[in-house]
Amino acid sequence: MTSTTAAPRGVEGKSRSVAEDVPLRTQGSGRAARNALYILRKLGLFVLTLWAAVTVNFILPRLMPGTPADAALAKLAQNGPVSDATKAAIEAQLGVPTGNIFEQYVTYLHQVITLDFGVSYTFYPQTVSELVSTALPYTLVLVGVVTIIAFILGTLLGVLAAWKRGTWLDTLPTLSGSFASAFPYFWTALLLLFFAGYVWRLFPTSGAYGPTATPNLSFGFLGDALYHAFLPALTILITSLGGWILGMRNTMISTIGDDYVTFAEANGLKPRVVALRYAARNAILPNLTSFGLALGGVVGGSILVERVFGYPGVGYLLFNAVTNQDYPLMQALFLMITLSVLVANFLVDILYGVLDPRTRR
Amino acid sequence: MTQTKRHRVLAGVALLGTAAMLAACSIQIKSAPDPSIPADTMLVAADNGSPLFERNFNPYMANKRTATFYMYEPLVILDNVTGEEHPWLATGYDVSDPSTVVFTIRQGVTWSDGEKFTPEDVAYTLQMLKDFPANDTQGVWGFIDSVDSDATTVTIHLKEPNVPAAQLIATTLIVPEHIWKDVKDPTTFRNPDPVGTGPYVLGNFAAQQYTLDKNEDYWQADKVAAEHIILPATNTQLDVATKGYDWAYSFISDVDEAWVGAGNENSYWFPPGGTIALFPNLTKAPFNDLNLRQGLSLSLDRKAVGDAAAEGYMQPAGQTNILLPYQQDLLDPSIPDSGLITKDDATALQYFEAAGYTQQGDQLVDASGKQLTITITTANGYNDWLKGVQEVQKEWGALGIEVKVDTPQPAAYQLALRNGDYDLAMGGTGGTGSLFRDFNSLLSSSYLKPAGEEATNNFERYDNPEADAILDQFKEATDAQTQLELGYELQNIVYNDLPVISLYYGGSWGLVSNAKFTGWPSEDDPYASPKTYESTPLLVLTHLKAVKND
Repeated sequence: MTSTTAAPRGVEGKSRSVAEDVPLRTQGSGRAARNALYILRKLGLFVLTLWAAVTVNFILPRLMPGTPADAALAKLAQNGPVSDATKAAIEAQLGVPTGNIFEQYVTYLHQVITLDFGVSYTFYPQTVSELVSTALPYTLVLVGVVTIIAFILGTLLGVLAAWKRGTWLDTLPTLSGSFASAFPYFWTALLLLFFAGYVWRLFPTSGAYGPTATPNLSFGFLGDALYHAFLPALTILITSLGGWILGMRNTMISTIGDDYVTFAEANGLKPRVVALRYAARNAILPNLTSFGLALGGVVGGSILVERVFGYPGVGYLLFNAVTNQDYPLMQALFLMITLSVLVANFLVDILYGVLDPRTRR
Repeated sequence: MTQTKRHRVLAGVALLGTAAMLAACSIQIKSAPDPSIPADTMLVAADNGSPLFERNFNPYMANKRTATFYMYEPLVILDNVTGEEHPWLATGYDVSDPSTVVFTIRQGVTWSDGEKFTPEDVAYTLQMLKDFPANDTQGVWGFIDSVDSDATTVTIHLKEPNVPAAQLIATTLIVPEHIWKDVKDPTTFRNPDPVGTGPYVLGNFAAQQYTLDKNEDYWQADKVAAEHIILPATNTQLDVATKGYDWAYSFISDVDEAWVGAGNENSYWFPPGGTIALFPNLTKAPFNDLNLRQGLSLSLDRKAVGDAAAEGYMQPAGQTNILLPYQQDLLDPSIPDSGLITKDDATALQYFEAAGYTQQGDQLVDASGKQLTITITTANGYNDWLKGVQEVQKEWGALGIEVKVDTPQPAAYQLALRNGDYDLAMGGTGGTGSLFRDFNSLLSSSYLKPAGEEATNNFERYDNPEADAILDQFKEATDAQTQLELGYELQNIVYNDLPVISLYYGGSWGLVSNAKFTGWPSEDDPYASPKTYESTPLLVLTHLKAVKND
């Protein structure tokens, strides 16, 4: 490869300049059509996946044994016998699904389109949209911001590790990163909670803000919220950083071996420029894909972390919905998660098409 | 390369060091109350947000805030540990005619907005429950025909003679007519600004914590010691143990070390709140055979089962459906050993033989040589039940019975129980505080449903005309002595016929601190259940004394 590249390169350049007038234009419009086709194909796939996801989302909760009223009664029955009337009253309050499965499906599709998911079974009489809109901001800010920080920090550390391969700058982040990401989420969370929260009493042990605070946009409240978000954020950061470091380091190392990097080095470019603008820029592609997916997953929250820290986000809500067989809430949340992952996936597909022309074929 | 190696070693050493440091920290949790909470204020773990609180104080809704029970009061409080009645908004009631209940309503009670509380409010509340059946969670209109009221009494005409129903109706929480009559739909009304007759009114409400203030015009205000109550939305066990809670209702593992050992004058009382039992499916062979049930019952070491399930904090339960020792008065004294069954494998094997099962090698087999195989159904996540079942499995296994354990999710478990889709199932019985209800829901054939259809009670599907006859007599019995004797008969049925196989008592997990308030219910002074929900906390809140009087 290396021996032949030098000669044809000049030829290639020449032929390209010759064909610059008319052929380039037709090639351009052909490329536009191909681009449009590519996007259209991806869009079609997206719609099909979306329909499948929406339908599975409808079927799955209905395959679970027992009705929401059974779940509510099981809770009550732990404290003593439940009377006939209580059961009837609970069923009347919850409104157990009516109609045959097809009617339910049509109602469901209608609800999906109008984003009306009705009343939650668990938190009756609160509506699903009420619950989701309260929980979503906390998760988006906590998990979203931490995911972005972890991606940026992890990627930079990965670049550094690969560039300074074999030094402590490589060993330390790589080793501790893989070590920390091997911990289960909840274990790290419990450890942090126990020591920083209970033993040293440095951070609050639960909630998204102080017990008496009311959410608003003042600096006082935001500071309070940040203080409360610190431990959960640290947990997510500790456990997810390693993945980004390792991913970036490994692709970066193979990129460093490529000819154009050697060429750039040989040309006397500064090591930093070579590392960031030549090697890292190409190595980041796979990491970018995972980042897109991770961003899509943010909406689902981080169930274990939110549960451990009593953080009022979507993850905690999902946990409650599942344990209480709250179909309307579950469906809304699963749909939201599916949708955001699909959209993120779609965007990454498109972005990939732009970044790497080979994928468009 | 050597440098890398050295750094790897260094990193390894650092990690080991951290691990050693973690391992060295054996930590004794100490309770450290928040100094900003004054001495007249009580910190209570009674209400858990999910994780936030919704401002819902509708007494008839399952998702109401727990403190609703401290604001709205019933006519009579029934304590489920002692089985005693306490006249509350009614000074008493009369059922000398078993189909008419006359409540005498307390005078001089006001609503927290200053309006006078009247018998009209009681009549209105009951009528509202009729108009909106979804609010009638106790099902009082299954018994009531009509309601009249005058200046001092409320008279309830029952559909048929039913003395025990009076008690059920009496525990309905009463709401003010002058406010609720303007509510369009009381079944979805969240009642954000509650007005009740109770000892507390709502103070500050926030999504993660709310406070209650003492109702200064309360009809027995002189008995209420705590000026304020704080109810946080998150009360993890670590919170409860470390943050100086005054009152919590929770089972903490190793409570002597974790709760009492944390200081702050903590103590606990775990009275029985119900009987945990194995429900045999009586529609199914071989469980419909009394001999087999006798064998199963006699081969159990109930103390070991209870110890496995509740770490030794709960006592083995007698085979009578009566909670001992606090309901000793109700127990038939002629039942040997207070109904407690002692493990006796030899007699058990005789019963098994009468049921057609003999020991062959290390297996208990039927005539065709097939091993007796039993599946026990219990709910996933109820760890205490599971530990109890595993002990049962061990003990029966030693006799040669193959015991399988099925642990579906709680909703599926509940459905299996109701539909009769099990061999043996774990479940709770009794503990309502009403002798009649304890036995009626366990034995009455009126709940019978064929297997596969949902039954709401009598899950084991017990069908005995004799029991039905006693229960019918109970409904018409107006004097205490007759009721007591009928109770004896019902206990004997449970004792002899084994419709359920009792195991151990389910606990009421009361954790209290004597640092700020004393007079909590305890083994020495068992005046009420230590639980923080339903109406019995009213008995506790009007019984406490403040330690500091300044």
